[in-house]
Amino acid sequence: MIELLSDKELWNWWSPAWLVVVCVVMLYSRCIGWVTVQKTAWLIAGLSIFVFAFVSPLGVLADGFLFSAHMIQHLLLLLVVPLCLVLSLPRNPAWQSGNTFTFKTGILGVLRKTVGFLVSSPKLGWLLGLGTMWFWHVPSLCSAATESQLLGFARTASFLVAGILFWWPIYAPSKAARMPASNAVVYLFSACLGCTLLGIYITFTAITVCPAFASPEERLAIMTALHDAGMTAPVDQQLGGLLMWVPPCSLYVAAIMSVFCRWYSVEDRGAVDLSVSGATEAGR
Amino acid sequence: MSESDLPSSAESAPGKAALGNLLDWISTVDHKKIGILYICTAVFFLGLGGLEALLIRVQLLFPNNDFLSADLFNQMFTMHGTTMVFLVGMPVLVGFQNYFVPLMIGARDVAFPRLNAMSYWLLPFGGILLYFSFMTGQAPDAGWFSYAPLSTKPYNLMPGQDYWIIGLICLGIGSVAASINIFVTVLQCRAPGMSLQRVPLFVWMSLMTAILTILALPALNSALAMLLIDRLLGAAFFEPARGGSAVLWQHYFWVFGHPEVYILILPAFGMISEVIPVFSRKPIYGYAFVAGSSAVIVLLSYGVWAHHMFAVGLGMGADMFFAVGTLLIALPTGLKIFNWTATMWGGAIRLTTAMMFAVAFLLEFVIGGLTGVMFAAVPIDWQLTDTYFVVGHFHYVLIGGTVFGLFSATYYWFPKMTGRMLSERLGKWQLWLWVFGLNATFLSQHVLGVMGMPRRVYTYADNPGWMALNAFAGAGAVAMAGGTLVMLLNIWVSVRKGEEAGDNPWEGFTLEWATSSPPPAENFAVIPEVASRRPVWDLDHPEVADAEREPTPADTGWRPDKLVTSAWAFVASEAVFFLLLLVAYVVFNTDVAGEIVSAAMLDVPRTAFFSVALLGSSFTLWRAERLLNSGHHAKFRLWLGLTIVLGGFFICGQAVEYYGLISSDVTIDDNLFTATFFTVTGFHGLHVIIGLLALAIVLVLALRNDRNVLGGTTLKAIGLYWHFVDVVWVAVFCIIYLGFLQ
Ligand code: HEM
Ligand SMILES: [Cu+2]
Repeated sequence: MIELLSDKELWNWWSPAWLVVVCVVMLYSRCIGWVTVQKTAWLIAGLSIFVFAFVSPLGVLADGFLFSAHMIQHLLLLLVVPLCLVLSLPRNPAWQSGNTFTFKTGILGVLRKTVGFLVSSPKLGWLLGLGTMWFWHVPSLCSAATESQLLGFARTASFLVAGILFWWPIYAPSKAARMPASNAVVYLFSACLGCTLLGIYITFTAITVCPAFASPEERLAIMTALHDAGMTAPVDQQLGGLLMWVPPCSLYVAAIMSVFCRWYSVEDRGAVDLSVSGATEAGR
Repeated sequence: MSESDLPSSAESAPGKAALGNLLDWISTVDHKKIGILYICTAVFFLGLGGLEALLIRVQLLFPNNDFLSADLFNQMFTMHGTTMVFLVGMPVLVGFQNYFVPLMIGARDVAFPRLNAMSYWLLPFGGILLYFSFMTGQAPDAGWFSYAPLSTKPYNLMPGQDYWIIGLICLGIGSVAASINIFVTVLQCRAPGMSLQRVPLFVWMSLMTAILTILALPALNSALAMLLIDRLLGAAFFEPARGGSAVLWQHYFWVFGHPEVYILILPAFGMISEVIPVFSRKPIYGYAFVAGSSAVIVLLSYGVWAHHMFAVGLGMGADMFFAVGTLLIALPTGLKIFNWTATMWGGAIRLTTAMMFAVAFLLEFVIGGLTGVMFAAVPIDWQLTDTYFVVGHFHYVLIGGTVFGLFSATYYWFPKMTGRMLSERLGKWQLWLWVFGLNATFLSQHVLGVMGMPRRVYTYADNPGWMALNAFAGAGAVAMAGGTLVMLLNIWVSVRKGEEAGDNPWEGFTLEWATSSPPPAENFAVIPEVASRRPVWDLDHPEVADAEREPTPADTGWRPDKLVTSAWAFVASEAVFFLLLLVAYVVFNTDVAGEIVSAAMLDVPRTAFFSVALLGSSFTLWRAERLLNSGHHAKFRLWLGLTIVLGGFFICGQAVEYYGLISSDVTIDDNLFTATFFTVTGFHGLHVIIGLLALAIVLVLALRNDRNVLGGTTLKAIGLYWHFVDVVWVAVFCIIYLGFLQ
């Protein structure tokens, strides 16, 4: 019998995630500023979930032990954290309010333009949002990213970036950058379809999607307990597939509902016009 | 809009013009007449389906009865279910949509009147095919869900099952065409001022139903195609004995089947959302919620199909998630009850027959909804599935919901359709007969189900209480039949002698009441101004007009192009069809054995070569479109011609491949690889050929300088389809030839 690991080893207190948090907080207070309590709350929520995804037992288990834990981490990083971050951006960030041209605003301006260009393309957002999901579940890549720390970092970064690009056309702080409601619904619905397909595939396929998890090199004691409780590798993968499928779709449906709310509200017309053809897009 | 300019053609004409009148109906493309044709055809099949139901009830009147043989009993419940869903429920709803959607949005007709006529004529055609099976000696008898392997050749030798499949494919194609029409009509033909946030809820629900149909029916069609290939060409998709999967049929059927139940209920939701406000003299409470939550239902309904398969053994995880999904979808369904109740709250309620049916809807639908939620608890479902409890559940929602909604709509809209009122007195008779019948029949069945009486079994042992309950159920069925006869009598009498209705007998709110009853062929003399959700109310009550008191998002003037929108809808539908065929390929070819077979049999480089031609044709078509837009007609024809040549080249390549395979004795009935391979590539090839024909027609028209082609969006719409066919090929090539996902 392997000894049960103590709690200390199930929690990864020294995760580099903290570093990222510090950087983000510094950047945010510098460039954006603390505008409202609500926005701050979104930021705190996003960062706490980010930390949770790495520091808690979830992060430890996701690191090569449990496929379903990996999937939860994946979803938090790709969908939830970026959503919170996008929502934490105020409509008029600090760097837009001042008219004075400084080095900082200059750099930021250029950055904003390029990022703004990339970010405001819904096609790109959709492709990246779904693409990262599919891409990192090619069996060889999935294993490799779990085993190599460097690839793991790359994966995390790609999740965050893709997630932000994905949510931008829906929840961008400036209404001008948001998609018309009808397109937004199609965007989210087709995204749901995309992860449904992948989810169904992972759930029902006979293939091991991420071999690294099926035969890990070392075992945590808790794994034995889980295994005894019925969490065998196939069950683990089935659960992972279902997680890939149902929670993201629920999130997308919730987002669709919020799009509908916007669409039906009278005040908020400008950004959510159905003016795909651009008939009255300017009338804001 | 006065009584004097009623069109003469609206209802039956005197005898001497009978033939001309008949021709008029047969050749009509008027949405109102087509709507009436749909409804009348549905009523005819309601008679047949009802007769079958009565025969079932007679058989079950006594224990160990032998009024019907076991075989005949199977045929009866199969035909009853199939008829009621495909030949009664869907057509009658489509009929009402056809009649009222254009009127309610202030349009002159649907977007594609001739397509509309085609959709309708597929209905009697499909119905006749289905019922023709009786002449072959045996009607289909595998249930309306035709579970495999019971529906496969080894267990079902008679051709009845084949008629079932082909009939349903016809009906399915008709439904999709009708839905594309409704979809485009709502998006494109709205009167100025009618923003999508202002359409009457019946129109919104019709739009949602159309989306559901467009995306759900192809799932059934692909399953039917595979079953037909099994039966006629000897493949084994659904024959476990030869490596197929019977569970796959269940998946495919319910991926269609669960959205189907919402196809049947959403329009009824729309109907009572019109009736309840009008007879409560209030606007609907929470318009946005009712509309938005229906959109959510559309999305969720694709994710809960496996709740029909809890007993299959999908695994704990899957059961759990589908149970949660089922509970979730009950929310947007159930919460709407509160909207309707709140609409009545404090209103000046007029208890007309239409309103009483709507109230009955609320009460009975809740019962059906609650038993549905019970099934969401997996262990309860294990206990109750395949018993009469399920039969009770879905009849409460289908009769208490769909049928009562339809009756309500009939009493509400009949004056508009004929210019005459239905009798309220006969209406109340009908109501109480149906309310008694519904509860008598299906409450007993709930009890029988809990006692363990299995559904789909032709008789039962003399268990205590079973006979009494079944007899009671039989009495209920008689009452419902009586209620139907009362309705037919009411219609028969009222069409002739009913009280004159006038334009707006109920003081309705929506645009159909702004024209004469029945409406003239072009629907409106002048389309009223639309500035709110209740334009006719605003017209009648300018001092308390909604337009001022409750501002709604204004119309932006956005109306998408008809042809391009319909092409997108069609492509979406086809995408689902191919998706499921490809899923079948992946399911059947993921074992190691399959991989070797596919790699050894196919000449990948050669096919890659031909694929380049197909992809090239997408490019040339894109060029052709650009040239057309910039007015270079000669060059445009050249590039269009080139597209056709490249597409033809691809088809030749496929012919060569098929010839090679077949001459070395590789055929569709060999194994699951060849079955899936030929099915997927064959259907794709068929689509390429159809695309080529369409392009050739465009080319001929272009050579004749046809203005529609040179000036319109025809090429763009067909181009969309062509690009789609190419995209499908890319997927096919990657999965089958390159072995992705295996
Ligand atoms: C309130 C939400 C609803 C829930 C949660 C629900 C749930 C279910 C479940 C779990 C089953 C499978 C029972 C079994 O076979 O073991 C079922 C069967 C069925 N439901 Fe519902 N249902 C709901 C509403 C509806 C509505 C609105 C309709 C149609 C208008 C409907 C029509 C049917 C039909 C036709 C079947 C039986 C299919 C068959 O086996 O032949 N249901 N329902
Ligand atoms: Cu269902």
